[in-house]
Amino acid sequence: MTNANPIISIRNVHKFYGQVPALKNISMDINQGEKVVIIGPSGSGKSTLLRSINRLEKVDLGSIIVDGQDVLAPKANINAIRQELGMVFQSFNLFPHMTVLENIILAPTKLKNVPKAEAVEHAMQLLAKVDITDKAMVYPVQLSGGQQQRVAIARALAMNPKIMLFDEPTSALDPETTGEVLDVMVTLAKEGMTMVVVTHEMGFAREVADRIAFMDHGELLEEGTPSHFFNNPEHPRLQRFLEQIL
Amino acid sequence: MSQPEHPPRIEISDGASIPDPWDKRLINAWSISLVGAVSLLTYLCVRYPDVYGKILSLLPEGIIVTFKVTIYSFAATVPIGVLVGIGRLSRNRFINLIASTYVETIRGIPLLVQLFYIFFSLNQLLHVPDFLAAIIALSFCYGAYMGEVFRAGINAINKGQTEAARSLGFTRFQTMRYIILPQAWRTILPPIGNECIAMLKDTSLLSVVAITDVFRIAREYASVSYQYFETYTVIALVYLIITLILSKCVSVMEARLSHYDKR
Repeated sequence: MTNANPIISIRNVHKFYGQVPALKNISMDINQGEKVVIIGPSGSGKSTLLRSINRLEKVDLGSIIVDGQDVLAPKANINAIRQELGMVFQSFNLFPHMTVLENIILAPTKLKNVPKAEAVEHAMQLLAKVDITDKAMVYPVQLSGGQQQRVAIARALAMNPKIMLFDEPTSALDPETTGEVLDVMVTLAKEGMTMVVVTHEMGFAREVADRIAFMDHGELLEEGTPSHFFNNPEHPRLQRFLEQIL
Repeated sequence: MSQPEHPPRIEISDGASIPDPWDKRLINAWSISLVGAVSLLTYLCVRYPDVYGKILSLLPEGIIVTFKVTIYSFAATVPIGVLVGIGRLSRNRFINLIASTYVETIRGIPLLVQLFYIFFSLNQLLHVPDFLAAIIALSFCYGAYMGEVFRAGINAINKGQTEAARSLGFTRFQTMRYIILPQAWRTILPPIGNECIAMLKDTSLLSVVAITDVFRIAREYASVSYQYFETYTVIALVYLIITLILSKCVSVMEARLSHYDKR
């Protein structure tokens, strides 16, 4: 799993909530174009790990390098680094006071000074990609959960990020709309996007992941290809976890 | 009342209660009060034109002063409120302490005492003109309450909004400007309107210092004509009518601002 130039390099990361360890000595490299799925029971630290990549959570020890830049350095331009890291949340977090289109063009126009016409054109292409062009002018509250999440993906893509982080993107959705969102993510994966996905969707993991990582109690217990993972899981904790969910 | 969920409202101050914009019934507390006040005032002025009518005719000039003081003070209070509200939420301990101490101090001293204190110190030590001193005093006092309204409004916005904005690369300041404040504004509007109305009522306290507002005119007239009951009846009704109309305006604005959470 070693590579000379991983786009994300996580080294010996620890995080504590008071005395309670949330992440214990995590190291992981992610290469350009790779799709890594992180699974594990609730409270295992998988979301915390994902959120520490763009410093929504600050880790206490270790280093995280994204695209050559040290995320944890006190003088790091975190806002510039975050522009390279699109993030999709479990609860969508669309801006309710803006239309779908405004949600998508806000960041490119304000942060990258993209002219409005150009930003709108790009937004419409993204909306076509997530198959929701007819909703450009409506407010988020008028959309279903699946539609909101697809808009949220388009909004993150509007900044042309190098990496996409997904934090349980389908956990708030019903099975039917989950499919719509996963389809978009599969398309994105096929286009070569680097993706780190925290999810409980084992079908997605099996189909899309280059590598699956299993976490429990803040520890990274096992990593491997989907076939290794589902056919020959080694760690007893992972064997039990897979028995329960499959 | 049985409408589907609409945004939570924060009601903090001692201002008028803002009518519920989703209450479509014709007869409610607001309409009863307004119709009652207007008809009583009309009746008195028509029935006794040389007593009540005369009193009413003296007031317009004072009403203009009352509005002027309120509008200027309100305009100064909103920016103070935004700064104090953000300061109270700041993680910088120094800024947080300054803002919190200001709020704590102001809330612990009666408004009338504060007004006297600030008005006379500005007036005597710094020779600030009366009208300006009154506005500074009132906005300084109300800034603390307004700060609490902004703090509550900003706090009421889901943390996910900040996270989404920050993850796109917005700075703290940009997040506040483009994402949080535009949303907070809507939740904050009723209590802000409320503060504005409370402020209009409290300008009557300035009549004790050197401001010739509507209440000062009334007091002066009562003391020369000895028509205390009649004068204060008119002045109470006038304040009530103004307050009721303003509270309705706030309510209408509130309904307009929440268009985006209606399905």
